[in-house]
Amino acid sequence: MSRSKLGLLVVFLVVFSVVASGCISGGGSSSTSPSSTPTATGSEKDTIIIGVTDKVTDLDPANAYDFYTWEVLNNVMEGLVKYKPGTLEIEPALAESWEVNNDSTVWTFHLRKDLKFDDGTPLTAKDVVRSINRVMTIKGDPSWLVTSFVEKVEAKDDYTVVFYLKHPTAYFLALLTTPPYFPVSPKYDNDKIDSDATYGGVGPYKIVKWVRDQELVLEANPYYYGEKPKTKKIIIKFYNDASTMRLALQNGEIDVAWRTLRPTDIKSLKESGKFNVIEVPGGFIRYVCLNTKIDPTKEVKVRQALAAAVDRNEISKIVYQGTVEPLYSLIPNGMWSHLDVFKEKYGDGNIELAKKLLSEAGYSESNPLKITLWYTPTHYGDTEASLAQVLKSEWEKTGMIKVTIKSAEWNTYTDYARKGQMMVYLLGWYPDYLDPDDYTTPFLDSEANSWAGTGYENEQVNELLRKAQTITDQNERAKLYEQVQQILAQDVPYIPLVQGKLFVVTQKNVKGVVIGPDMIFRYSTLYKE
Amino acid sequence: MARGLGRYILIRALMIIPMILILYTIVFFFLRILPGNPILAVVGTKNIPPEQLKHLEHLAGLDKPLYVQYFDYLWKMLHGDLGVTLASPMGKPVSSYIALRLPATIELTIFAFTVSVLLGIATGVLGAVKKGTKTDTTMRVYSIVAYTLFIPWFGMMLQYLFGVKLHWLPTSGRIDPSITSFHPITGLYILDSIIQGNWTALGSVLEHLILPSLTLGIVLSGAYTRLVRNNLVDVLSQDFVRAYKARGVPDRKVLLYALKNAFIPVVTLMGLQFAILLGGAVLTETTFNWPGMGTFIMDRISYRDYNSIQGAVIVFAFFVGVISLIVDVIYALLDPRVEY
Repeated sequence: MSRSKLGLLVVFLVVFSVVASGCISGGGSSSTSPSSTPTATGSEKDTIIIGVTDKVTDLDPANAYDFYTWEVLNNVMEGLVKYKPGTLEIEPALAESWEVNNDSTVWTFHLRKDLKFDDGTPLTAKDVVRSINRVMTIKGDPSWLVTSFVEKVEAKDDYTVVFYLKHPTAYFLALLTTPPYFPVSPKYDNDKIDSDATYGGVGPYKIVKWVRDQELVLEANPYYYGEKPKTKKIIIKFYNDASTMRLALQNGEIDVAWRTLRPTDIKSLKESGKFNVIEVPGGFIRYVCLNTKIDPTKEVKVRQALAAAVDRNEISKIVYQGTVEPLYSLIPNGMWSHLDVFKEKYGDGNIELAKKLLSEAGYSESNPLKITLWYTPTHYGDTEASLAQVLKSEWEKTGMIKVTIKSAEWNTYTDYARKGQMMVYLLGWYPDYLDPDDYTTPFLDSEANSWAGTGYENEQVNELLRKAQTITDQNERAKLYEQVQQILAQDVPYIPLVQGKLFVVTQKNVKGVVIGPDMIFRYSTLYKE
Repeated sequence: MARGLGRYILIRALMIIPMILILYTIVFFFLRILPGNPILAVVGTKNIPPEQLKHLEHLAGLDKPLYVQYFDYLWKMLHGDLGVTLASPMGKPVSSYIALRLPATIELTIFAFTVSVLLGIATGVLGAVKKGTKTDTTMRVYSIVAYTLFIPWFGMMLQYLFGVKLHWLPTSGRIDPSITSFHPITGLYILDSIIQGNWTALGSVLEHLILPSLTLGIVLSGAYTRLVRNNLVDVLSQDFVRAYKARGVPDRKVLLYALKNAFIPVVTLMGLQFAILLGGAVLTETTFNWPGMGTFIMDRISYRDYNSIQGAVIVFAFFVGVISLIVDVIYALLDPRVEY
């Protein structure tokens, strides 16, 4: 009996080996035939394959709250207004015009009359109202972007939508550009999250295939009211890490490598001259958080000294290979009201000033300031350890600071931050909406900054920020934000470090990359020569 | 004998239950001892109001006492429910992810396993037959080198050579994404493309399988090389082999008889290797962007998605348990000395 079983086992192994070797040789030989070469650059001109290391988490705008998913939603949906491609200027989208009352609490929008979802169903004001109510009912992660502002929303007729706000909100149009405000197909449930929904809304593309974490296939929406996309089909391939994505680009498996290649990869791809490397200014900022509640960082002179010793150009060069730009305020470069407050007050890498401030705070070379600097190893890419090292060396150049570096993985790190358990730590910020408010209130308003864990409280700043939220005149608002930035540089609960640039690397024949300050890649302008 | 075997299988199968229970308990408490929770990990630096966070924690059931969470999940598990994901998108069944990811890992594992066994046996036999020669030394060096190769590094070398330099093979993924005529049914792409008669898809799937299964297969073949060689050398020096030779039995036949005897410990290793294979698959999957269980677990650990990690570990444990059981049964059938 055992003999026959053994025989069976041998037969099984032989068959297995034949199949396997057949597969291997078969695969190898087929790869040489032109029809099945892995190079996708040979694919038709109406298809572009984009590689990303980000993930689409949730295709329901009522629950999606991460940057890349918002990008995809922006390609398959649209809001009442949108950013003019490549600018910070808001232009009509689904709404062709709008009015606002004097204290900016009632906003009335007039919809286009030719709007249709990607299955041909007409879109009316009722769909807009239903979508907004849906977000408020579901209470998903980003719902506060609606519930904190909107009291109620009404459809006056088929083409008129009225928003009644809880309080005057000067930047309401900026909020309207975010996905929680996007009208969705009637196929979405009214009270349930539909994370794998592919119904979309009214956008230049529609989703035709979705395999979670593997690929997303978009095709031009035949009912889109605006200009038709230049490329009919867009395929997104999801990668686990940047190295694999880079190899895929080099092997021609993808046409575009998008978020996020490593600085070293970008540098070498640029030097190879075989690809287009497109640089885009990004609203992504990196900064140091300083706990204002615990010793020794609760002492303002200590925080100021740390700010003075930071050399942002060195950080940009050494850590990021020039793929970022120095940042001297929390409000990013290029955004209205931005001031280089840290540069004016402390300079850059100003060791002498740092020493002076440290002496005033009672520290010396024999009695150095001891601080612990925290970082998280992977969440912001693998450059983080080196960023911490460079900061340590910059601070220690004073001879009066001793830095201990510690790290914790993302989950633990966010927990420590929210509980205010770290003294000095690195964080980054992607905006929710493009307004100075999103770069100041969440950091400096004492009721809104609990997530950051710096414990910063300043009643004057609170007042300035709240006032700026209610005034509609941009010049008036800018003055308030300028004041806030001056106080930020004086109090130093955060030290702005750098502002990210985004890089799109494409095969030579790919053209039409347009990414605005909102950092959203709109695929409809992409094409192949 | 058959009854005895049935009882043996039943007992071994029942042993999988406490194994899973112990593993679940360890994973459950270990995950919760670590600081942080899934909601905070997803929200990260987002400025969500505290009441919103509380609401999300409540939805995820994280506001319940620990023992309630433990028994809740256990109860669900007994009913074949692995819970819902806690990280974004919250509320989606974990089983739907596993159904999507597990076939990818199984496919890779089968191919890598085949490569490792075939290569290991071939190199081991060669070493034993050519004992004491340069070939034997080469095989022994091969076994050590293969065993010590670091998967991501080795994988990347293969990607660079066969992908970027020679343009022979794709470097990542399971199938060319531009093949839109292919639709997964079972999730085992080879099988699916055969069922659909989609030969373009089959070609693409096989191409995509070559580099990851070679990487993992070669690394794991080292252990077989060594084991097969040493066992075969041992068996070849035994009396019965000498008796065969004395009777003038041809060398090839003698080798085949010897191989049968040398094969028993190899079967045991196969069972053990399967568990290691799944572990190695994590690294291989990451290197080749293979959308399997390994990358899923890694991804979910970083978000401390308790239910997904628990679910994935339980399914892994179940698989390892079943494979060990199969191997033990084969072993028992092969070796008459095993009692059951």
